[in-house]
Amino acid sequence: MLLAYRLPREPSTPRSALWRKLRRLGAGQVGDGLVALPLDARNREQFEWLADEVVEAGGDASIWLGELASAAQERELASRMAGLVAADYRTLVAEAGRAVEESPGQRRRTLARLRRELRRIRARDYFPPPGHQPAHEAVEELALLVEEPVG
Amino acid sequence: MRWATRRHCHVDPAACAWLIRRFLDPEAEFVFVDDPEEVPAGAIPFDMRGVELSHHGGDCSFETFLRRYELADPVLWEIARIVHEADLADERHDAPEAPGLDVLLRGLSMVRDDDELLALSEPLFDGLYEYRKRALLTGREPA
Repeated sequence: MLLAYRLPREPSTPRSALWRKLRRLGAGQVGDGLVALPLDARNREQFEWLADEVVEAGGDASIWLGELASAAQERELASRMAGLVAADYRTLVAEAGRAVEESPGQRRRTLARLRRELRRIRARDYFPPPGHQPAHEAVEELALLVEEPVG
Repeated sequence: MRWATRRHCHVDPAACAWLIRRFLDPEAEFVFVDDPEEVPAGAIPFDMRGVELSHHGGDCSFETFLRRYELADPVLWEIARIVHEADLADERHDAPEAPGLDVLLRGLSMVRDDDELLALSEPLFDGLYEYRKRALLTGREPA
């Protein structure tokens, strides 16, 4: 599923709001003003709302259901999207590793934040890369440290 | 009155339907369509692209209803916060209930049709309203 959009260059607020939302959904950039998401009910709804927001901001937008004519290019797009998610998982593993050195109180807060972050990444993880399991384990290891009884 | 929304309701239209029945139109009838062009004459469309009672300026449809009908009940705005995050998860609000509500309604929509979904979610939203009301009155989460 594709969202084609055109937004006025100014003001820049709607542009950056849109970019943030696309990033959270894990949309793959196909071209200038053209982004892709796997088709499901939730994503379709999200694209529809984003299209409306673009129109409200004075731009225009359309949603397309389609498939790439080339299987190789489709794999390339999927692996590019998976690559971004994999990088997010790696960042999470690194943060979980650093949190081991933190004070117990700080570590507990970090754990809550990382669990939220892990859920967010999973929501945009359409082509599960190998990175998910290590990220999940890193967060759970941190959880074990946090739950250790004091004294 | 007849009210129309898209087939395969999720949390936002379900919450809107509850709001309509409880606060705007107790006799409300709901119809479900695949495309905005199929909305029957005389029916009021909601939570659909390009209609007034829908997403606007980053608000979900439930929030738009509250603004449009000037429903100032603070408990409804508490529910709006939860529905917004369950629907959009854009972290505009802090609503820890939202992921749970999202899963419950999404799961329900897998095993029930839209009429049943609205019927079953009504008491759920009644309960949510009562819970948030008590929390607001006492200043703490009720147990």
